Amino acid sequence: MKNSDNIILKNINKSYQKGKNTVVVHRDFNLTIESGEFVTLMGPSGLGKSTLLHLMGGLDQPTSGEVIIGTQRIDDLKQASLTQWRAENIGFVFQSHHLLPVLSAQGNVELPLALTSLNKKQRQEHASYALELVGMSDRASHFPKELSGGQEQRVAIARAIVSDPHILLCDEPTGNLDRQTANEILALLDQLNRDFGKTIVMVTHDKKAANYASRVINLESYIGEAHNCHMGENR
Amino acid sequence: MNISLKGLHSLFINVKQAKALTVINFKSFPQRVIASTVSILSIACVAGVILSVLAMTEGMMKTLERTGLDNTVLVMRAGASSELQSVMFPIEVNILANNQKIIKDEQGLAQVSAEMFVDAEVTYISNVDTVAQETETKSLALRGISKSTQQFRPNFRLVKGEMFATGVRQLIVGQAITRRMPGLIIGKVITLGGAEWTVSGIFSDGNSVFESELWADIGMVQSDYRRGNTLQSIRLALKDISDLPQLEKEWQDDPRLNIRVLTEKQFFADQASNLTRLIRWLGFPIAIVMALGAIVAALNTMYAAIASRSKEIATHKAIGFSPFAISMSILCEALLIAFVGGLLGILPLYCVFDGWTAATQNASNLSQMMFNFDITVLLMIKTMSLALFIGLLGGLLPAIKAMRLPVTEALRD
Repeated sequence: MKNSDNIILKNINKSYQKGKNTVVVHRDFNLTIESGEFVTLMGPSGLGKSTLLHLMGGLDQPTSGEVIIGTQRIDDLKQASLTQWRAENIGFVFQSHHLLPVLSAQGNVELPLALTSLNKKQRQEHASYALELVGMSDRASHFPKELSGGQEQRVAIARAIVSDPHILLCDEPTGNLDRQTANEILALLDQLNRDFGKTIVMVTHDKKAANYASRVINLESYIGEAHNCHMGENR
Repeated sequence: MNISLKGLHSLFINVKQAKALTVINFKSFPQRVIASTVSILSIACVAGVILSVLAMTEGMMKTLERTGLDNTVLVMRAGASSELQSVMFPIEVNILANNQKIIKDEQGLAQVSAEMFVDAEVTYISNVDTVAQETETKSLALRGISKSTQQFRPNFRLVKGEMFATGVRQLIVGQAITRRMPGLIIGKVITLGGAEWTVSGIFSDGNSVFESELWADIGMVQSDYRRGNTLQSIRLALKDISDLPQLEKEWQDDPRLNIRVLTEKQFFADQASNLTRLIRWLGFPIAIVMALGAIVAALNTMYAAIASRSKEIATHKAIGFSPFAISMSILCEALLIAFVGGLLGILPLYCVFDGWTAATQNASNLSQMMFNFDITVLLMIKTMSLALFIGLLGGLLPAIKAMRLPVTEALRD
């Protein structure tokens, strides 16, 4: 799967109930992201950018349509299989890093490795390497409250990559950071994409992020074009 | 085979994940220390009450079960449910003792014990060695016995002093009484039925209910309590206890007798059952109400724990931890709270009260009965199981809630 893990969203419809009303988030949405791409999803709030990210990571299910990662269709996977698939193939980076305050940076990064068959020593080695990659080796024993926002986000990225997933899904990873720190995080993601071939899909409002991405998708215009195209086909 | 191996592998993975999450939960325990302490204390109270009730009933049961011999027949007046309610006459003793089925000694004398039983008001000066002396009054069982009575008490031993003398106001005191009333020492003069009696000795009887009694010469008891030559119970040693039904029928058919016959063992077993039923009726409803309170406290603690950690739980799910493992870790935390609560309820009770002598009013003879709190390993296991059950109930719904927690909503909040 890792050789051809394109992300394909096919005829996605997504709606949810809010009280008595049905809110439609996506209608007949299609998107293909090729393996090794660094894609940013941009656009105004409420367009369903994070929803798309959650669908790609199997955290949410489409109302109808198909989510295919590589050769695996994940929208119809059972919960247990989906969880295992996610542990092996997806790394998440959130706007709020969601690090566990009771664990050190090393402990937080080691956490996803509890899902693998690695022994304690191997887990420590893998976590140390991930921290080294994000430039946080000297803060391994620090707890989240002892780190700055940028450092916390670096640790969160180390946690996302420690089990070597091919896809990184990032939900506004620079949203809480100042400009300089945000640039550092974007550069780090860029490095992970270029040097390690990670496929990165990033939801962001940060226009500077476009400088690092291989493709920028403005969801508002993307949906509009798709709609026009669909109308044209119907004519 | 493949399916079961796959199932086992999946279980192993879930247990491994749950273990990792449980360690994290325990590390974050100090953040929830107040709510968790409330739960722990609630469960400790329930465990304490339950163990007290169980230890009391166990102690009473053992005390009463240790009393009475298998081949001893107790005879009372028909309709009497206790010795206190019974009146018997010497002529009846002779009729009963002459039966061929009763054991006779070498001189041909039947093994029989005629006894008096009085609910006696005992007044004595309680302080043993202090200047300020206090007069205390207790209701105790006074049993008038004869020499032959000892044949029916194989475990009887004089622990201190000597046997009472016949024809004088002397008595011996059961050692369970002296544990509760240490002022009753040898040589002590006490008032019984308006007359002064002297304590001549202290006896044991294998921790039986007789250790809650005062024993004196039957003639002196009859005289002091103006009972003439009447008796209250007769004990007879049967050659073969299986003859009892036939013997009972024989005596029931005898127009000279109007009696109730049963084995001494059965008599005390009935008393045990009445007493323990009373304790259970009083104790268990209180414990059940407290247990419900403890379940609510545990539920509240665990719901609060989940509410405060919803993002953390969602992150675990996003990382790839299975919902089952997450719910198991919540349950483990609830069970740990219950375990600590159980220990806090059990250990102090065990250290302070195991073997402690308590007294209760024996409803059937109106006097006090002494018994030891008996906190056995089995009772502690039962109590701990109940505490864990409370923890399980308190953790189950929150665990299910955690399992079903929608990741996307939790991450957005």
